[in-house]
Amino acid sequence: MKIKRKKRRAPIVPINSMSDIAFLLLIFIMLISLINYRKEVKIEYPEAEFQEITQADKNIEIWVDRWGNYFYNGHQSSISSVEGLIAQSVAENPSVRIHIIADKNTPYKNVNEVVEILKLLQHRAVSFVVKGASQ
Amino acid sequence: MGRKKRKRIDIADSGALSDLAFLLIIFFIVIAVFNVNKGFMLGLPKKNSTKIVNTLDIVKVKLENSGVLKIDDNPISVKELEDEISNLLNERPNLTFLLKIEPDVDYQSVVNVIEIVRKLEVENFSFSMIEASE
Repeated sequence: MKIKRKKRRAPIVPINSMSDIAFLLLIFIMLISLINYRKEVKIEYPEAEFQEITQADKNIEIWVDRWGNYFYNGHQSSISSVEGLIAQSVAENPSVRIHIIADKNTPYKNVNEVVEILKLLQHRAVSFVVKGASQ
Repeated sequence: MGRKKRKRIDIADSGALSDLAFLLIIFFIVIAVFNVNKGFMLGLPKKNSTKIVNTLDIVKVKLENSGVLKIDDNPISVKELEDEISNLLNERPNLTFLLKIEPDVDYQSVVNVIEIVRKLEVENFSFSMIEASE
């Protein structure tokens, strides 16, 4: 009797699982978005055509709205708490970069308050954040 | 009757995975660009530090509360200031730009002047706010 040889099938990946993969990817992307989520304060950015990238490895963003309210990490803070926060961050990491993100219509004296704190702490650099004029 | 064999599709051959990978790459690039701050880096002076400069190299610019720019007490527009500084830099490469800012001027006006300074690569730039008592 002749024994029939079983034909070997080529290995396949079921295409039906594509929707599952897409779903998992969606969840993954949503989680990553949450990690990168930046707590924005509603301000009108100052505009400039010429600008430089001021981002560093470690950054602190101090937001100043039109009415001179200060925000850190999305929460409103007093200028004295901003000072404490900057002092603590600079003590922990002297190379931390301080970004001032202020509303374009706010009086300069509000921005100067933060600059004066940095001068007092002898922090040598500050970043004034702007947006491109066309953005 | 011969039964037609169903053609099997290999996921790797379908091209769907490469599409997904491509979309993911675009997504991460976009997310990375979102969180990058752009603006101007400004150096702050050391406490009690002094620098000796030639008085002829100093250009004093005042930014008033109304947003009016004044160079040596003469009103000037932002564009004119840019041209003026550009010309002065050719004559005096060691130019020192002193910007005095009145407290209630809007932040955008300050940014406009800083933009000129950065664009023209003025090395010696100093800015300070005029206190109420001054």
